[in-house]
Amino acid sequence: MHPLLTHWRGLAVYLLAWALAGPALALLLHALHIAPVGAAMPWTMPLCAVFAFMLLATYYPCRSRPFGAGPWTTALAHRAALVGTLAATMLGLALAWDAAGTLFGHARGWVGLNAGGITLLTTALCGLLTLAVLAHDLLIAFRASQDAAMRESQARLLARDMELQLLRLQIDPHFLFNSLNSISALTQLDPAGARAMAIDLAQFFRQTLHLAGHERIGLHDELALVQHYLAIERQRLGDKLAIAIEASDDALPALLPPLTLQPLVENALKHGLRLLDEGGLLQIHALVRDGWLHVAVRNPVPPAATPRLPAADAGLGLGLPNLRERLAAQYAGRAHVQWGPTSAGFAVELTVPCETLP
Amino acid sequence: MTLRALIADDEPLARRLLAEYLRPHADIRVVAEAGNGLEAAKAITEHQPELVLLDIQMPKLTGLEVLELTGRRDGVIFTTAHDAHALRAFELHAVDYLLKPFAQDRFDAALARARRLIGQPTPGLDRLVAPAAPHIARVLVRDPDTPGSLQVLAVDDIAYIESQADNVAFHAHGREHLKAQRISELEAQLDPARFVRVHRSFIIHLAALQGLEKTDSEAYFARMKNGKRIPVSRSGYERLRAVL
Repeated sequence: MHPLLTHWRGLAVYLLAWALAGPALALLLHALHIAPVGAAMPWTMPLCAVFAFMLLATYYPCRSRPFGAGPWTTALAHRAALVGTLAATMLGLALAWDAAGTLFGHARGWVGLNAGGITLLTTALCGLLTLAVLAHDLLIAFRASQDAAMRESQARLLARDMELQLLRLQIDPHFLFNSLNSISALTQLDPAGARAMAIDLAQFFRQTLHLAGHERIGLHDELALVQHYLAIERQRLGDKLAIAIEASDDALPALLPPLTLQPLVENALKHGLRLLDEGGLLQIHALVRDGWLHVAVRNPVPPAATPRLPAADAGLGLGLPNLRERLAAQYAGRAHVQWGPTSAGFAVELTVPCETLP
Repeated sequence: MTLRALIADDEPLARRLLAEYLRPHADIRVVAEAGNGLEAAKAITEHQPELVLLDIQMPKLTGLEVLELTGRRDGVIFTTAHDAHALRAFELHAVDYLLKPFAQDRFDAALARARRLIGQPTPGLDRLVAPAAPHIARVLVRDPDTPGSLQVLAVDDIAYIESQADNVAFHAHGREHLKAQRISELEAQLDPARFVRVHRSFIIHLAALQGLEKTDSEAYFARMKNGKRIPVSRSGYERLRAVL
């Protein structure tokens, strides 16, 4: 809808201006001895009413072809054609209405425009239309910049939200204490394994801290983090956990917001592999195609009938819509996150524009 | 006297650690290890161990659900990594628990306490196990497919329950699942708004009820959605009318 139509005060001022323009024009015609006010008014008033809305209508073609969306010459040509067409239409209307004056007993029409009058009217209409188009383009540009600023502040908010999420992850007490318990068990059984697990745990937390400060990180960094995480989980879960990570060479340097993948892997274990007696295979695939980075996490899940921990279910419900929202804000709507059951279990697939460091 | 113990934890390393901590205690023998809640419930029913070392967060059933389903109330030591909610509950009900990771001496102290109290139900455990729900939501039944194993049945899935000698038979999904329990005891545990004792030997789930049939001899039958007709006694009819 035209922005003026939702601002009744602005609309009222605009219409009032046109309502005054009608009599003013009639008085001008009278002063120039072209037509008496009594005959000029019935001509100018309806025309002003119609022209008021026709000028507003230029908003829609301007919005559909904004400057900046294509070559500026095309947009300009489009606007010139618009002004020309509308000016011709309005002139036609004015002449037709003038001629209609004969039906009301005015032999030469309401005002009886001559060639000079037509030229003057055409010039005035072209000028008015050009002004309207300019005003609308300015309005559209202003709104676009306002929208961009709002999106940016929203993205910043979401980034802060993500930082909080990172904080939560850094001190996920269940993960930390269980890992420490596993290390404690390993000290007697397998001292080298205990050391390796302590190092993995330290690396995982250190990288989490390090990555949290970045807006984007390379997929290889995220995968390194995921691998430390999985090394710890593999010790905890035993031989239940098999892992297959495949990333094409061009996908590795592609950029992602930090900790995009790790929560997906955490979910896959929490809601899938951990609940299965026989365990299963966790798959991560990453590739670049046509300028887009595609990443998929796949895992088997228990049949729906299996009773599950209520607390564990809650995480799945919120985590994925959150991720979708976060990526949508960070990529201005150019990211896709999809999830759902597959024949082999559950899959989450995300697609973002492929960016790399210059 | 030798104590028989069950170790229930979904993490293999955590189980090995407990076995290691138990090694100096020559009087304790580990009779079973369970990797999830269902296995734990099965092992408790099967072995009746004097001592149960029970993790809280386990797949399939939580430690608390294991106790709810098995009715086990004594000789339980909880082990947990971090569960703010459970920790508060343990403290409130003076139940012994071990926070992972724990040292041998802390473990020994918990064991000493358990030894002292063996056979006596822990006072707070009842309230801890079913704090809010006065009615059960699930029952632990024998698996009809594999003799000797157990499975969990949601009460929502039950069509009707029939008393059979020392057992009750749960009819769900067109199958019969047995459990050693008296029907009157079970009746008290079920939600009376949804389950009605229509007969000395029958409890029906109202959600599975199709309608009532009256015979020539003024007797009533409950027709279930699966086509089964169940006799309704006079007092059972009164109870049905009261809830319908």
